[in-house]
Amino acid sequence: MSATPDAFASVPSEHTELSLLEKAWRHRRGIFGWLSVTTHQAIGMRYIITAFIMLLAGGVEALLMRTQLARPNNTFLGPDRYNEIFTTHGTTMMFLFAVPVMEGMAIYLIPLMLGTRNVAFPRLNAFGYWLYLGGCLFLYWGVFTNTAPDMGWFAYPPLSGPQFTPGKRSDFWAQMITFTEVSALCVATEIIVTIFKMRAPRMSLNRMPLYVWSMLVQSFMVIFAMPGVVIASSYLLSDRTVSTHFVNPAEGGDPLLYQHVFWFFGHPEVYIIFLPALGFVSSIVVANARREIFGYPAMVLSLIANGFIAFGLWVHHMFATGLPQIGEAYFTASSMMIAITSGIQIFCWLATLWAGRVRRTTALHFVYGFIAIFVLGGLTGVMLASVPLDLQVHDTYFVIAHFHYVLIGGALFPLFGAFYHWFPKMTGRLMSERLGKINFWFLFIGFNLTFFPMHILGLKGMPRRVYTYPVEMGWGPISFLATVGAWIIAIGGVIFIVNVLSSRRSPHFAAANPWDAPSLEWAADSPPPNYNFEHLPAVASRYPLWDPPEDRGVVTGLRNDRREVLVTTLMDAEPHHRYVLPSSSIWPFITAVCVSIGFAGSVFNPWYIIWGSIISGLALIGWFWPRRPFHVEP
Amino acid sequence: MPLNEAKTLDVSHLPPFEISNQAPLWWGQLCIVFIEGTMFLLLIALYFYTRLQMDVWPPPGEQFPHLLLPSLALIPLFISAGGSYIASEGAKKNDRNRMLGGLLLNLIPAGIFLAMQIIQWHSLNFNWKADINGSYVWAFLSLYQFDLVADLVFTCVLFVSLVIGRFGEKQRIGIHVDSVVWYFLVLIWIPIYLAIYWGPKIMES
Repeated sequence: MSATPDAFASVPSEHTELSLLEKAWRHRRGIFGWLSVTTHQAIGMRYIITAFIMLLAGGVEALLMRTQLARPNNTFLGPDRYNEIFTTHGTTMMFLFAVPVMEGMAIYLIPLMLGTRNVAFPRLNAFGYWLYLGGCLFLYWGVFTNTAPDMGWFAYPPLSGPQFTPGKRSDFWAQMITFTEVSALCVATEIIVTIFKMRAPRMSLNRMPLYVWSMLVQSFMVIFAMPGVVIASSYLLSDRTVSTHFVNPAEGGDPLLYQHVFWFFGHPEVYIIFLPALGFVSSIVVANARREIFGYPAMVLSLIANGFIAFGLWVHHMFATGLPQIGEAYFTASSMMIAITSGIQIFCWLATLWAGRVRRTTALHFVYGFIAIFVLGGLTGVMLASVPLDLQVHDTYFVIAHFHYVLIGGALFPLFGAFYHWFPKMTGRLMSERLGKINFWFLFIGFNLTFFPMHILGLKGMPRRVYTYPVEMGWGPISFLATVGAWIIAIGGVIFIVNVLSSRRSPHFAAANPWDAPSLEWAADSPPPNYNFEHLPAVASRYPLWDPPEDRGVVTGLRNDRREVLVTTLMDAEPHHRYVLPSSSIWPFITAVCVSIGFAGSVFNPWYIIWGSIISGLALIGWFWPRRPFHVEP
Repeated sequence: MPLNEAKTLDVSHLPPFEISNQAPLWWGQLCIVFIEGTMFLLLIALYFYTRLQMDVWPPPGEQFPHLLLPSLALIPLFISAGGSYIASEGAKKNDRNRMLGGLLLNLIPAGIFLAMQIIQWHSLNFNWKADINGSYVWAFLSLYQFDLVADLVFTCVLFVSLVIGRFGEKQRIGIHVDSVVWYFLVLIWIPIYLAIYWGPKIMES
């Protein structure tokens, strides 16, 4: 079977060449082989599955909270347990689900969309995954040993400092951040380099799919934002473990400093989660409207502008800290500005749908849901950008409602849409559209029932992070409604899981391109082989699979007996040289274990930083140690 | 490079590796440099932000670091970047002697710089526990020294692999991208040096 089914002018495939390719990309057997895997499909899938397990954990935590809040004076959860659960919920959703799942999708999709065989640094990719897994295990090790963080997902000092949170709860939180930030930085690096240097011949920058653009901007944001949280969590951790005085006011430190540097990361973080989702929406809209995107240059410029503006908004999280008014005015203006670039994209999608021949798939349902919910969340965002209103509803359920509208509406709905859209590519089976639409309606109705009433609760003055409330406040009936909504979301989640599991075994095999979509991932088999394409494609337009067959070309002359790919130039993607990717290796796993020992140990004893560095250094030397053959054959 | 009549693009004549800024590894290294650079520059900005919040700086009883030793230490640091450049050019031309010479000229002065730094640590009359100024100064010193030591170790590994003859194109690319790290380490030290050694003196006057 050809690996470029009917999409590209095929070169007569020789059986021996194909078997060479299969041999070169084959995984090794056994547990050792499983730990050594470096192909992007496998690593991407591991990210996605792990992240969905974290979503499940975060979802269960949300249900526990909603159940506690269903009626006044409830005693289902005590105050301490409630603190732990809301902190673990926020931390899990932001750091262990939302960012990693977007990274996993990108690791899976980007090389396919670019028409290449793997990411630029496959071993770094594997290392990033193992560290992410380390972060998940580390946080939940704390949760299951009664050391869950309990000071909120942004861990403001002085509450999170040594004075008010003795024990190890804050340390578990801060060090979990270290795991996930290193992992995110690994992914950002390889995504940028893969996009810059490994695109299909002639896929110039202005021919890249919008999803690739969104991941490029997102990866740059990760690179410039993550150092902020590196500093914030290190401030906190070193104040707690080696008695520095950065943010501990008891010792002359400045707690506001922590807020600044945390939100310098924290606000871009929202866009780090949201931009990939915009890319999903563009892909789903193009495939299901069956026409080119309206306003491609405006879309790209909006994405880039979003990336820049996102770094100028962080103080709107700190309006209640009594900053100078002139500063607040600036951040109000910049916060409102981001509505423009987001609005442009919404209008471009609407125009594309309007002018297209729309096919109402489940994925497109999720896009409709995204537009409805996200626009509402955007509107409350503009409201919150105004200082007087923000001061009024600060730390109330209004804010909870707002950010769940933008994050669930802006990222989770597109993610579910993306899952339905690319499931056939990843598994070779189609998901049930009927169950999918039922799934959508449960999530959509459940979501609005849960979070819309929270706007009202917030305006009525219900503060966030309270474990219960007296009857006299009058919040009971609305709160109960929100709890009912949460359980409806849970049913929607169960339907989703049932759909995934039953579709995995369904007899409805997916063709290579079931949606007649235009981007290159649909030229590979479903599911793609480890090498993605037998012959790498060359493209002649922005929508290569919609080009007439006579315009489609393929690359020949790459060696099939080793993991070889083509490196192209940055702007125009002209072929430049061939590049032999490293083979599978156990060293990324070993290194990740050594680094994890250092990270985890340092929570208990700062000397572990030194020991961890030494064993990690030794593991890295093992990783890099020259092995035969030393020379690359031509 | 045009498609031929069979709609194929033959790339078999292209080289199977590249030691230049076209190599993916070079771009990856550049990303790492951006990450580290952002972290250090952000930390410098935060240092001055903290300084602005304080009435008395540095806290009474702390003496400023002396300027002489850290300033002299700049000389071997700059020389080490020159050595790294020579090694990198040698790697491009596959000239083993230039690579060896360049790496020696990189490693020895870098070692001297590190030794001078460690001597200077002992002359500081405060540690990170003293107060927020002490925390910052030691954060800069330890983070920077950590980077420096890590890269020294890996340059040593490259050097050893050259000496014992276990090297090929991968190690040559390694030497080339390693030079990017050295240029970065030299360049980023300048603002850190100015901030922690000159900054307090200028602001005091």
